[in-house]
Amino acid sequence: MSASKISARACNVFYGDTHAIKGVNVDIGSKSVTAFIGPSGCGKSTFLRCLNRMNDTIDTCRVEGTITLDGENIYDPRVDPVTLRARVGMVFQKPNPFPKSIFDNVAYGPKIHGMAKSKSDLRDIVENALRRAAIWDEVKDRLDAPGTGLSGGQQQRLCIARAIATQPEVLLMDEPCSALDPIATFQIEELIDDLAKNISVVIVTHSMQQAARVSQKTAFFHLGELVEFGDTDDIFTNPSDPRTESYITGRIG
Amino acid sequence: MSEHHIASAFDRDLEGIQANLMRMGGLVESAIQSATKALIDRDPDLAAKVRVDDKKIDALDETIHAECARLIALRQPIASDLRTILGVMRIVANLERIGDYAKNLAKRTVVLLDLPEVPGASGSISRMAREVQAMLTDALEATLKQDATLAESVRHRDVEVDEMYVAFFRELVSFMLEDPRKITACMHYHFIGKNIERMGDHAVAIANQTIYQITGQMPAEKREKGTENLYRPGGDSSK
Repeated sequence: MSASKISARACNVFYGDTHAIKGVNVDIGSKSVTAFIGPSGCGKSTFLRCLNRMNDTIDTCRVEGTITLDGENIYDPRVDPVTLRARVGMVFQKPNPFPKSIFDNVAYGPKIHGMAKSKSDLRDIVENALRRAAIWDEVKDRLDAPGTGLSGGQQQRLCIARAIATQPEVLLMDEPCSALDPIATFQIEELIDDLAKNISVVIVTHSMQQAARVSQKTAFFHLGELVEFGDTDDIFTNPSDPRTESYITGRIG
Repeated sequence: MSEHHIASAFDRDLEGIQANLMRMGGLVESAIQSATKALIDRDPDLAAKVRVDDKKIDALDETIHAECARLIALRQPIASDLRTILGVMRIVANLERIGDYAKNLAKRTVVLLDLPEVPGASGSISRMAREVQAMLTDALEATLKQDATLAESVRHRDVEVDEMYVAFFRELVSFMLEDPRKITACMHYHFIGKNIERMGDHAVAIANQTIYQITGQMPAEKREKGTENLYRPGGDSSK
């Protein structure tokens, strides 16, 4: 892991009068996995959504402070959110393939961003993305079938293939495995490991074991605050804040 | 961690393991006490009882091990819970070893009945055993109450046991030089002394595990050892 890819400084988020994120400072490393953990409503998903300006779509939401990607402020008015989201991709809790063919699901992003020069170029991009998402062998003979016809685990891997087809530098994952069985979960985790060789992955998860398994850094959020951020090994063997300890060991805080 | 788990069954499991650990600790303490008493009183019946009772210690060792394995499999303990379980597993292994040393002491007691007495030997053994037993009691108390200060004190008391052992060793060498007919008895006493000294090391190991459970760090600094002199060439005057 080298220098930080994303840095947040004094980040505050409000939904109307609700102060959802309170002065968060964090540095997310490149080529590594960072896990966000915390009880429901602690702000971890809200903060994740700040990292590619997904909160822009919510009228009442206001983001303060600075968030930089490679040193550039992503909230700068000159930054195009669509281009930003090609660089900072996202995978959601529930698999949400487009009601299109498997091929078109993955081809959509590269097409609109003009990444493919020819049809064969596009086919290569799609195949490569599906391979990296560990689903190629399962779908290569039915690329024209609708994406919605796949199983839950396959749909989620298809969505990951869609997200990585635009070659993002950062992939945000909001509980990507919560709707999946253990086998599909392990496949996604294997994929996260593999992705982190080239890009940074930020994952929100409710599974402590998953955070412990896949991430190198863990951030614990509680009531909108970033309580503790450190090496995953330390957080899960010897956390320094009693609130982290209470939460991860399943005690009433 | 004094707070309770949201899953109360987790607390019950942990408490069950802790209770069995303390039961095992109690059996080991009385094994040291009885084995020493049997030696001093030259009581073969009590010595036999120590050997039989060691089976109960071994059985608890297996029970606790199974309980820990079950808890790890079902509840995936992390942070302080994980350290508690890892610590318990190591502490149980240490207790089991102390139990074996007590059993060995009882075996030698029976053999010693037919050998000439070695003056002062039972006094030295009894002093060492008393100190080791007190260390074990405090180490277990420290584990139960998660008291790092008490655990730390146990670590530093081992040097006294080591010194008693070194003195006892020299005493035995002088007896053997004086009267070769006492060599067999002296050798048995020496093993007994060495075993009690080892019990002290295991009490220290329990204290170390307790500190690990509390702080997440094994105590790093080297503690003083009272036996260094014994292993140095020419360090022992009676050689």
